Amino acid sequence: MRGAVASRPQTGAKLSVSHVSKSFDTSSGDVIDAVVDVSFDVAENELCALLGPSGCGKSTVLRMVAGLEEPTDGSLMLDGQEIVGPGGDRGMIFQTYTSFDWLTVQQNVEYGMRLNGVPKGERKARADHYIELVQLEKFRNAFPSQLSGGMKQRVAIARTLANNPAILLMDEPFGALDAETRWTMQELLMIIMESLRPTVLMVTHDIEEAIFLADRILFMTRHPGRIREDLETRFKSGQRIPDKEAVTGLEGYADLERHIMHMMREESPNRERRA
Amino acid sequence: MRRQRWLEFKRPIPRRATVALGVAVWVIFFALWEFAVAQAWVNAKFMPPPHVVVGTLYEMLAGGAFVVDIGISIYRIFLSFALACLIAVPLGILMGSFRRVEAFFNPLVSAWRYLPAPSFIPLLLMWFGTGDTQKIALLFIGVLWFLITIIMDHVKAVRAELIETSMTLGGSRWQILRTVVVPAAMPNIVVAMRQMLAVSWTYLVIAEIVAATTGIGAVMMRAKRFLHVDQIMASIIVIGLLGLLFDYLFRLTHRRMFRYLDERER
Repeated sequence: MRGAVASRPQTGAKLSVSHVSKSFDTSSGDVIDAVVDVSFDVAENELCALLGPSGCGKSTVLRMVAGLEEPTDGSLMLDGQEIVGPGGDRGMIFQTYTSFDWLTVQQNVEYGMRLNGVPKGERKARADHYIELVQLEKFRNAFPSQLSGGMKQRVAIARTLANNPAILLMDEPFGALDAETRWTMQELLMIIMESLRPTVLMVTHDIEEAIFLADRILFMTRHPGRIREDLETRFKSGQRIPDKEAVTGLEGYADLERHIMHMMREESPNRERRA
Repeated sequence: MRRQRWLEFKRPIPRRATVALGVAVWVIFFALWEFAVAQAWVNAKFMPPPHVVVGTLYEMLAGGAFVVDIGISIYRIFLSFALACLIAVPLGILMGSFRRVEAFFNPLVSAWRYLPAPSFIPLLLMWFGTGDTQKIALLFIGVLWFLITIIMDHVKAVRAELIETSMTLGGSRWQILRTVVVPAAMPNIVVAMRQMLAVSWTYLVIAEIVAATTGIGAVMMRAKRFLHVDQIMASIIVIGLLGLLFDYLFRLTHRRMFRYLDERER
């Protein structure tokens, strides 16, 4: 960086990803570029979705924000601070279930606060609040083996939110759920967005999910992953509507969906065969 | 309704039937044995009938000396196994968690796994004589290396997402080890301990039939010298029963410790 003065535009961005690239060394000695020169900002209270076909590196971008992967090039800043590793300020929710089997729902939700030395009384009160938010009051003393998939994801959401992260990272959080449960969970997330107004960066390959949930959609290309389009879901006029049916009926929804489907098809590896 | 046949593919059977069939196989086994001796198909001197063996077992236990030998054998098993666990559990956990620790220890551990423990008996006899120390040393090296490897593999199988979840909640390496890796691997570690305890009993007999004066194995070797086949058989029964008992106790402990597990995972 010698000679170049780090002049970063002081925007009000919560998360700032600038010129980030990531390449992996394969076992055969080749270098694969997973992500190339990705730049974007996420504003405070914004729900931003990284959308794209599988293999577009969207999860890699999310994992770099989490600090679980290091970028080969570029930098990532959260609240003006360089991201150098994983930390409690960037709570992550995975597609696979991550409830700790040996802890009850209550203990799972208290887990992060316990790590960070939150005193017992406050820990309990905060856990109660978030357990109610995800509607698991009746199951607070249950073990995860007694819960359904959707309930396990509720535990994960409550556990992450109770830890009070600066940004919530979600990696296809509802991808393993059946269609009906996914829908319910998406609406629950919208209710949470309204009441807590967290900043969220979410990875998904589900077009409907992205349009319903996101304020902004970053569409990524395949191999290597770049950002192709930065789309605002303006047709929602800045509202967070916790009713999926209502959103799909809004004017502009169909146009946006068609536009994204078109891009998805262009990025599809099966494109030649279909044409 | 379709006729219930006696044998059906994969059809569960009532619990009472399971117990009755399990008892029946033993009753038939002993009945055949008795019958074979009574018919003089086998020489009663080398193959005494079950009722004689049971009688001998009762006499041996009532005599008291055999009980002391049983106690000595159990003591050897326990001490050697506790020592092996004391090293294998922490080392296996560290090797399974950190690649550098694995890269350092694994060449040593793998090599030792392929050296048959009984081949060390001559060495151990020279170093420690014929007492408890030599027996315990043999049991220890017989179990240790396998235990380390199995525990390492179970720790490696802990899902990365669980560890990463803790990382993104602010967990330090030590906290993650203590609050995620250890509890996640613990049910399987206890299973590994149960399996290796069974192996321990095998090495016990080997240790006690070579240059030993005490323990169940030594009792058997003494009985052999005087052609007391009934005593040898009674000893074998005791070893079998003790093995079963400890296995059962381990199973019970596992169930108590890990109540949170799904019935299917047990």
